[in-house]
This record gives sequence, structure tokens and C-alpha cells, in this order.
Amino acid sequence: MSKVIDVELRNIMKKFQNNVVVRDFNLQVEQGEFVSFLGPSGCGKTTTLNMIAGFLDPDEGELLIKGRRMNGVPPYKRELGMVFQTYSLFPHMTVAENVAYGLKLRKVGKAEMQERVKRVLELVKLPHVADRYPKQLSGGQRQRIAIARALVIEPSLLLLDEPLSNLDAKLREELRDELKRLHQEIGVTTIFVTHDQEEALSLSDRIVVLNHGRVEQIGTPEEIYNRPASEFVHTFIGKTNRLEGVVLAQDGEGLTVKTAGGLIVRAARQQRAFAPGERVAVFVRPEKIRLADGAAADEVNHASGQLMIASFLGAFTECEVKAGGHPLSVKVQMDGQGMPLTPGRAVNCRWESEDVLVMPVERG
Amino acid sequence: MSKRLSILLLTAPSMIVLLGVFLIPMLLMLLLSFQDDTQAFSLQNYLLFIQDPFYLEILWRTIRISLWTVLCTLLLGFPVAMFMAQASGRMRGVVTMLILAPHLISVVIRNFGWVVVLGEKGWINETLLKLGLIDQPLRLMYNELGVVIGLTDSFIAYMVLAIATSLYAIDPSLSKAASILGASRVRTFFTVTLPLSLPGIIAGTTLVFSLSMSAFVTPALMGGTSVKVMPVIAYEQIMSTLNWPLGAALAFLLLGSTILLVTLYTRLIETKRYKEVFAS
Repeated sequence: MSKVIDVELRNIMKKFQNNVVVRDFNLQVEQGEFVSFLGPSGCGKTTTLNMIAGFLDPDEGELLIKGRRMNGVPPYKRELGMVFQTYSLFPHMTVAENVAYGLKLRKVGKAEMQERVKRVLELVKLPHVADRYPKQLSGGQRQRIAIARALVIEPSLLLLDEPLSNLDAKLREELRDELKRLHQEIGVTTIFVTHDQEEALSLSDRIVVLNHGRVEQIGTPEEIYNRPASEFVHTFIGKTNRLEGVVLAQDGEGLTVKTAGGLIVRAARQQRAFAPGERVAVFVRPEKIRLADGAAADEVNHASGQLMIASFLGAFTECEVKAGGHPLSVKVQMDGQGMPLTPGRAVNCRWESEDVLVMPVERG
Repeated sequence: MSKRLSILLLTAPSMIVLLGVFLIPMLLMLLLSFQDDTQAFSLQNYLLFIQDPFYLEILWRTIRISLWTVLCTLLLGFPVAMFMAQASGRMRGVVTMLILAPHLISVVIRNFGWVVVLGEKGWINETLLKLGLIDQPLRLMYNELGVVIGLTDSFIAYMVLAIATSLYAIDPSLSKAASILGASRVRTFFTVTLPLSLPGIIAGTTLVFSLSMSAFVTPALMGGTSVKVMPVIAYEQIMSTLNWPLGAALAFLLLGSTILLVTLYTRLIETKRYKEVFAS
């Protein structure tokens, strides 16, 4: 069975005055897929979402929703659901009236309308607030109602514009799980805009990483995390250690790099080949580094140094180690039998060549 | 020093002024309005008003002119307020200044300005005559129309600023939400923008209505001798006829009817739902 494409962006370009904010945006979203636009503020993710919603029109390129060309079609004719960062519930309407707003515009009969409002409020687990006004609800409840209002019209596409960023940490996690559950239950095609990498990683089928209006990478969360296409993607998603150096040798199994601080790093095969003498940056994630006691002779993928800072964070301890002139961030899982993490003591850092990522350094 | 005492001391000067030049003279006028020719207590001034259709007609005309002024300022002012709400901060400042600029000139001079525009030899009539669209000059002032035009010009700023203030408070993403749910721009205006600007509309309409009811200069200049309103006849009784008790009674009848109408209006429009939505 061939896949159904719900949304297609073809070479979308948008500029404000002479400032290009989105360029060469190509994307196909399959039916039922959950796709996130992830990037720092000003990367063009919200602009792109606004183009899909119809609040902005692309300057170049084509936008197709369910196979229909949407350029120039106003938002109210696109049959979409959208949830905003600021909830955007109508303050002069009760919860039930808010949810029924889109149905009323579609001239749904009264009995059916009441039934659908009731059903969607049960779906977001808030059937008891129907007669309240938005200001009588908590932030999390408001956002659930906003989701219900978007879903009740059975939109062809659900757009989420940073819907969790106005909530406090605990609530945000709760609502994130809720979004995941809703998506699994209803299976509506969803585009989710966020600057929070954790949200994107946990919710998405695929992630589009954006930077300066350019698509850096499109891929599954695992691909984005483990096989980043660029230094930007790698550093934006998760913490990492960056060590600059020069390639000593490249062979069939991988390559060897000597860092500026004198460490010898062995990396497994990369997506591209490097020439000896080439300037590169080497990346190792903090959770991939293990700490061991004392000092040992210098060898490959190994740095001895001094523990500078240890911050206990519950499930793990974040350590800063000064090794060979490089500050290294190390995440230590606490299992109760580890060595005492006293600042100032000598430690050994080790990592595997499979966990090393090498990227070329652009000459400035 | 306690907070209450310092508040009392700080407001004392204005309280003394208000008491001396406003409250006490008002009370004296109220007493005066209940006096007959022999300075004895009597209801004759009020009875005269109720029994004489001449006075009732003037009160009704005052109300009618004020209602028309409210309607004109509302319809002309709302789009300006909407423009201001959507404009950038700098543009808002410019528009606010343009709206307030005419108030830098005395209302008398502004009303004479209208003569140049609306008079028999004003440029509207001159132009229409030259174009052959009319044979005789239109009567654009020295009638109720002229008064409404003059009052609209005087008070539209209050309406615009009151509505703009309530429009500023509306989250712009609400109209986006309405739009994505399927509402056209007209629909969005009537179901979202208009209901949410109600506090501004109420403030603007009551303000313009009260100001129009008590306006004296504009009706006197733009209405001429034929269009008499309550403040004008109260003035005439006091200054020309020297019937102070009747003039005082007319002033209090005007005040009373304004308060009554404004109260009825706000009672009617501020429903239970309104209070629930807009209560702070």
C-alpha cells in the first residue's frame, strides 16, 4: 500500500522585506505522522507553520494539503486545527461554547453539536468544566480545552505552535504525555513547533531541525540524535563535548585525531572520509564518558585529569573534568557503588570509538 | 504617619476645592430650584416643566441629539480604534496625537471653522452648486444635523480612545484562532472583536452621551436660535430672563435624566454574563 501524503511543502521560500526567513523548504508529511519543527528562535519554524496555517503566504514554492494547492487560500477555508502558545480561548465564551465555535460555523445540528462537544471534552478528560469560563481554569486545563476545540472539527491536520512552553515543568511533561496519547488514539496528522529538543524527541515520528531559515536535517529522533547531519544539529540536541584537533590517519575502520590539548581520539567510521592533516571537531556526549579511579598512562580514547565540579542531579551526577587542557562534561549514573566524587581528585575518562562523532571545521 | 492619614492629607486640597466650588454651590442651586417668586418652598418649577410640552420637547431633542452623536462617534470611531490597535507603537502615538490635536484649539474657534465648511456659502455648498448637483444651498447647520456634526467632531476622540484601550487588551491570537476554526474576517469581528471590546464601547458611549447632554457651546453656535437644548435654555433662564429658580430646576432635570438614562443603559447592557467575563 502506498503512503498517503497529507502535507507537502515544495521549495517554500519566505522573506520579510529583503530578509529571507525560510528557504528551500521541502517536506512530505504522511497521513497520521507526527512531525516536529525544531530550532532556536528565529529559525523560521513558526513562519513555516504560519504558512501552512494560511496566516502567511510563501513568496516562492508550493504548499499542498491533502493534494490540494493551498497558496492564497485563507486560513478559514483550510479545515485545520491549531493550538497556540497562549491558549487563545475566547474569554467571553464558556468552555462548551469555545469548543462548539468551529462546529457552529460548520452549521452542525444542535444535538450532534452537544454530543461532539461532550465526546471531545471526555477525550481531554475535562467533561466537568463545560460551563466554566476560560479564566476559571488552570493553564494546563486551558491548553487541554484549546486542543479539544481544535480536534472537535476533525481537522485534516493539527498544528501545534509551542503549546507547552507557557506551562511549568511538571505540567509540561504531563501534557506532553497527553499529546502523545491523543495522537495515538486519534492518529491525526500533526505538525508541532518547538524549541525544546526533549519534547521533539519524545513526541515525534520525524523531526525537522531548522537553523537560520534552512532545513539542517529531517529524520527520526534516533537519526537526529545519533547520526546528526551537521554540527548544529548535534550541538542543538543534547549536551556534548567538543574538542578541536587534526586528523592523524584515516583507515578502513575509522580515523585517529589528535586534539589541541594533546589527546589521541580514535573514532569509528564516519559518514564521510577525512584526509590526514584536516582540521576537525570531535564530539563525545557526556553520558558516553565513563569515569575511573586514579591516573593511567595516556592511550587512545582516554584522558586523565582532575575533577573540578560535581553537581548531583538525582538520577545522575554531572561532572566537569579538566583533562589535557580540555574541560570535559561527564554524566555519571549513580548506582551507589561508584567512587566518591570529591572535587579536586584525579580521575580517568574513557569512551568508545563508536561514540565519537567527527565533523569538519569550517575555516573562518 | 499612618497610610490613611497621609492619603487624607494629600487629597485634602482638592477635596476642599471640590467642596467649596462644586458641592456647596450645587446644593445651593438645588435649594434654589425649589423656590417660587416669593422665595417660598414650592414645586412649581418642576411642575411647569412636566406640564409644558415646550420644555418636554426640548428635553427629548437634547436626548435625541445626544443619541445621534453617540451613534456617529461610535460608527466613525470604531474603525479608527481598530486601526490603532493593529498599528505599531509609533503609529499609535501619531494617530493619538492627530485625534487630540483639534482639542488644542478652543471649541468656539473649531465651531466657526465648521461655518466655513457647512455654511450656506461654505465650500460643500459652493462645490455642489458649481457642479450643478443642487439648485439651492443645503441646510447643513443651524439645525439638529449641524449640532450633531459639531458634537461628533468634539467628542469622537473620547470614543476612539475608550474603544482603542479595550482593543489593545485583546490577544491578537484570538482572531487567528477564530480564523483557523473557519470564521471569515467579518464573522471574526462580530463574534470575537466586537464582544470583547464591549467595556470600551460602554465607556465611550456613556462618556459621549453625558458630554453631549450637557454640551452648551456647540449647540448654541451650530444650532443657532432654532435648535434649543437643555443647557441652552437653562443658561437663558439664568442670564437673560433672570429666573434663577427655573434655570436651576432645568439644570437639575438635565442632570437627573442623564443619570437615569446612563444607569438604565448600563444595567441593561451589563448582564450577568458580562460581569462574569469582564470582572477583574
